[in-house]
Amino acid sequence: MKNRLRVLRAEKNWSQAQLAENVGVSRQAIIAIENGKYDPGLPLAFKLARSFGKSLEEVFIWNEPKTG
Amino acid sequence: MYTLLFVVFEILPPFMQNPSLPARKSFAPLLLTLCLASIIDLGAGWLLRQPHLTQPARVLIAFLPVPANLVLVALIVGTIRKLDEFLRHVHLEAAAIGFLLTGLAVFVYGYLQRASALPPLNVGIVWLFMVLFYGIGYVIAARHYR
Repeated sequence: MKNRLRVLRAEKNWSQAQLAENVGVSRQAIIAIENGKYDPGLPLAFKLARSFGKSLEEVFIWNEPKTG
Repeated sequence: MYTLLFVVFEILPPFMQNPSLPARKSFAPLLLTLCLASIIDLGAGWLLRQPHLTQPARVLIAFLPVPANLVLVALIVGTIRKLDEFLRHVHLEAAAIGFLLTGLAVFVYGYLQRASALPPLNVGIVWLFMVLFYGIGYVIAARHYR
């Protein structure tokens, strides 16, 4: 799953620590999500999207796995 | 030892970054209980070295550290529950790596003991294996998600 967290955070001019505090998680969590190393659960994903005033789909992009 | 490791790895670094996180509020009670449990552990160890005690008294003393350490376990579990989902994920991996490597180390130790290459296993060494491998597991997990 891809995300636009880094871009949206830059637009708001927020640091990783500020975003982390806004949604009540550690900075390590934000770093891992931004680097695509960790996919957040639904509650955190919603919190992140809401903190930017966006919908879930505007922040997180689901890559459909290739079949066949 | 685990608590100390937990405090060093988990509580202190994010505490500096974001003191408002719920898990950080557990810091003071955890540290106080750790001190209390350590004092009781040391006291029990000292008492058990005294030669004049009867066997039933020794058994009772051996159980002295249990209540404070149970409180410590409860506090650690409570703190882990307050961590954010990402940190819980890292700790789960660290615990899994620690558990499996400790099992492997004890297994290898057992075979070396059978080969008469090592003396009988001291239980304290298992504790050291747990702490060491949990630390290694934490570093591996934290680096993986960096």
